[in-house]
Formats: sequence, C-alpha cells, structure tokens
Amino acid sequence: MSERKIICCRCNRELEPAQTFFRYLGHTFHTDILRCPECGEVYIPEELVKGRMAEVEQELEDK
Amino acid sequence: MEIVRKTKSVCPVCLRQIPAEKVRRDGAVYLEKECPEHGHFSSVVWRDQEDFAEWTGDVPEMGADENLNCPSGCGLCPDHKRDTCCVLLEITDRCNLNCRHCFADNHQGEDPSLDQVKAWLRDLTVPGKTLVQLSGGEPTVRDDLPEIVAYAKEVGCKYVQLNSNGLRLAEDEDFTRRLAEAGLSFVFLQFDGTGDKVWQKLRGRPLMEIKEQAIANCGKYHVGVTLVPTLVPGVNINEIGDILKFAVKQSPAVRGVHFQPVSYMGKMPEPPKDEDRFTLDQLIFEIGKQASKLLSAESLVPSACDHPLCGFHGDFVVMPDRKLMPLTKRGVAQGECCCGVNTVDPAEKNREFVGRRWERRDEPEEEAAGNCCCCCDTGSLSMEGFLARAKSHGFTITAMAFQDAGNLDIERLRQCSLHVYKDGKHVPFCAYYLTPMG
Repeated sequence: MSERKIICCRCNRELEPAQTFFRYLGHTFHTDILRCPECGEVYIPEELVKGRMAEVEQELEDK
Repeated sequence: MEIVRKTKSVCPVCLRQIPAEKVRRDGAVYLEKECPEHGHFSSVVWRDQEDFAEWTGDVPEMGADENLNCPSGCGLCPDHKRDTCCVLLEITDRCNLNCRHCFADNHQGEDPSLDQVKAWLRDLTVPGKTLVQLSGGEPTVRDDLPEIVAYAKEVGCKYVQLNSNGLRLAEDEDFTRRLAEAGLSFVFLQFDGTGDKVWQKLRGRPLMEIKEQAIANCGKYHVGVTLVPTLVPGVNINEIGDILKFAVKQSPAVRGVHFQPVSYMGKMPEPPKDEDRFTLDQLIFEIGKQASKLLSAESLVPSACDHPLCGFHGDFVVMPDRKLMPLTKRGVAQGECCCGVNTVDPAEKNREFVGRRWERRDEPEEEAAGNCCCCCDTGSLSMEGFLARAKSHGFTITAMAFQDAGNLDIERLRQCSLHVYKDGKHVPFCAYYLTPMG
C-alpha cells in the first residue's frame, strides 16, 4: 500500500486501512484498503484493480 | 415419439453421411438414422437425467446444406466451427499395455524418427499458443521423449501434455525427472478406478500401486497430473465417487479428473448395444450421487468451446480441510464483458483455462501456500489467501464424451476443438478415429 496520505475530500479526514469486502460472481473476498473513518468512502488504488482484483476475476471467470 | 432435433450422422457400416434425427421415446433421447444400403440404426445419446434442452442451450440446428463433406473431407474446412484448442500428435504406435478399449491402434511398428517428429512439431506449433498432446500408443516407450518435449517447448508450444498409462513414469523415476526438466507441462494419466479388480478387467493387470507411484514421481518433479478414467458400464461406473475422493486427497499433485465415457472406436463386429453406453447426463447424475459430500452436480457446466453434448467442466479449489470450493455454477453468467460480447476465441479461452488449471503453478517450496485463507469471523476469504490457494490447489472435474460410428452427430463434430495432427492436416478427434462397424 502506498505510503502517502490520502484525505477524504468530503470529510477532510485521513483514510485508514480497514478490512473491506468485495463480491464477484457469488463469492465474497476481503482485503485491507483505505477507508474514511467518518463516511466510510473507500479508496481502491489502481494497482489493486489491475493486480489482485484482476487476478481474482480471472480465477473465477469460466473458461 | 418426439423428434427433438435434426442432424446428420454416418452409416456405421459404410461411413457415408446420412441424415439423422434425435428422438425422445421411453424417457431417453436416441440418435436414429437410416442408410439406404445398410438399414436402420439407433443409439442412445441422453437418458434424461438432466434436462436435454436446457443443457444443450441455443446451439443452432444444422442446415441441410451445411457440412456436406463431413467427416469424409476432414481436415478442417470453412464449415468447421472451432479453432484448435488442443492438438494431438501420435509419436508411436507401440504400447506396453494391451487394453480392452483403446482408440489407437496397438501395432508394434517402427516409430517415426526424431527428425520427423520435430518437423511435425514445427509445422503444428503456433508459438506462444499451442497446447500439444503427445500421444500414441504409449509415448513413454520412446527413449527420446524428453528430447521431443524439449523441442516442443523450443519451437514455442505453450503447453506440452503427455497422455500416458504411467507405467514408465512410475518405474523409471529418472525418466520422469528428465521429462520435467525438458518442460513437460502436465500428464493425462489413464486411471480407471481405485482397486485392482477394475485394472485387471480393463487393462489386463493390477496397476493401482503403479499409478500411485506415477503420481508420486510426477509430484516430486512438479508435473501436474490429471486422472483420466474410461467409464465402462458394468465395470467401473460405481468407482466414480472413489476416483474423485482419491484425486482430491492427492491435490496438489493431482490437478483434476477428466472422465471419458467409453466410446467404441476400433474394429467392432457390430454397433454396441444401448446398455454398453454411458451417457453424459448419467455421468453427471452419478457424480452428484457418488460424490455428494464433495460437490453438487450444479457445479458442472456444459462445454462452451466444444458442443454441450461433448463435455462439461467444473472448476474448484481444494481447501485445507479437503473440501471443494466450487468456482463454477450453472446459470451464473461468467466473465462476459459489459456489452455481452465475448471477443476471445472459445478454443483459446478453453486452452488457457485448462493450461492454468492442469499445470502446477505453485513453486516447489510453496507447498503449504495459502493454508489459511479464511477470515475466522466472517467465513469469507482473503483475496491474497484465495489467490494463493487457487494457484496451488486448483482442481477441475471435466468430461469428454467421444463419438463413434454408432452415435456420431455431425452437429457435435463440427464444433470439435480437439484435433489430431496428421500429414499437415488438423482432423477433429472423433473423425480421425472413426472406424466402421460390422
């Protein structure tokens, strides 16, 4: 995870790592990503989308 | 009697193309056909253990003017619906077993030279894509098999598969090591049951210990093994559940089970009786019944690359408690892009799927990878744990129902993606091994 601080633009609070759940094709997975402690908005970094999330999608998608 | 579908077939005696109908009567679907010279033939193709129409989906019916030269004009022609997923190359006619059911001739003739095999490999390979199945006969009777595997990799085969009875893999560990070092991707291991009675009956000798040793040797050198049972009514249908349980126990060395209901290739005095046939829907039913603690039949979905009547697949992960986590489920749309158009060629997609699953993707030192991937509070999986476990302990249950002259359905044949390479041509598997009966 990146070292730089990410600030919630609505609440002006620094996002904190939190266990977050994702659903895809009927399966649920969790991973730690940054979340605003006030409003709950999450920040999904590009490297997660193109990395592990894409890998999970590939594993789940049918041939 | 209800006509379910019109198609084309061949006369099992003279192999000429003739019209055929799939008809439902007495709770089963039959392929019925009439040769003007040799008379009427009927063969059971579905026993209504699954809904036939639901399973086959919206595959278009053959038009009368389509595939007029099929299968006599094979290699692939413009009427063929699928590219090559896997290409099979026979590198010997020799074999060290004498099996009751074998699609290949068991001559003891001379092998093609290494130079000849290399020339074939150069010709058939699309660099970076090809999945080649080295077959026979029994390919391991060739001492130069490691050189053949290395050459296949050198010319760009992405996956090199070995179809084997496992005798030499078990008895000659150094040979197995050399195959692994040459780049062998995975082995299709003939595996008909978990007791020697079945081996004795189908293969003429007790082989269970040998099969276990072959799996152990492949495991030691990190070559994935998929078990391939030939299912024969009256012989090993009741072994289905035990084979699956055995395979799951052997994960990650064993990557899956690929069932092949018996087909009657090779010279037959007459077409087989319906009770000699084991249909795909019966197999699904028996898996659900005999392995109910491992999986539900709902996890098994019809083939999308080949015709739905030719096979199915189920994709799983073997969890640390040896239970199967299903990744496939019928009725769940899988992996289409947002506009609903799937642009990837089905044969290529299928090839990547089987390659990814059948090959060992964990590093040798990572055997225990992903042993804990559950969140204890919620029962959900961590993304990282799931990925590690899917990579190390992926497991497939697949089936392929080959066709013979009795039940050949050209609607199915024209969608075949498993091709035999011969003299520069790619010939659909069931067309290549088609032999007349009677």
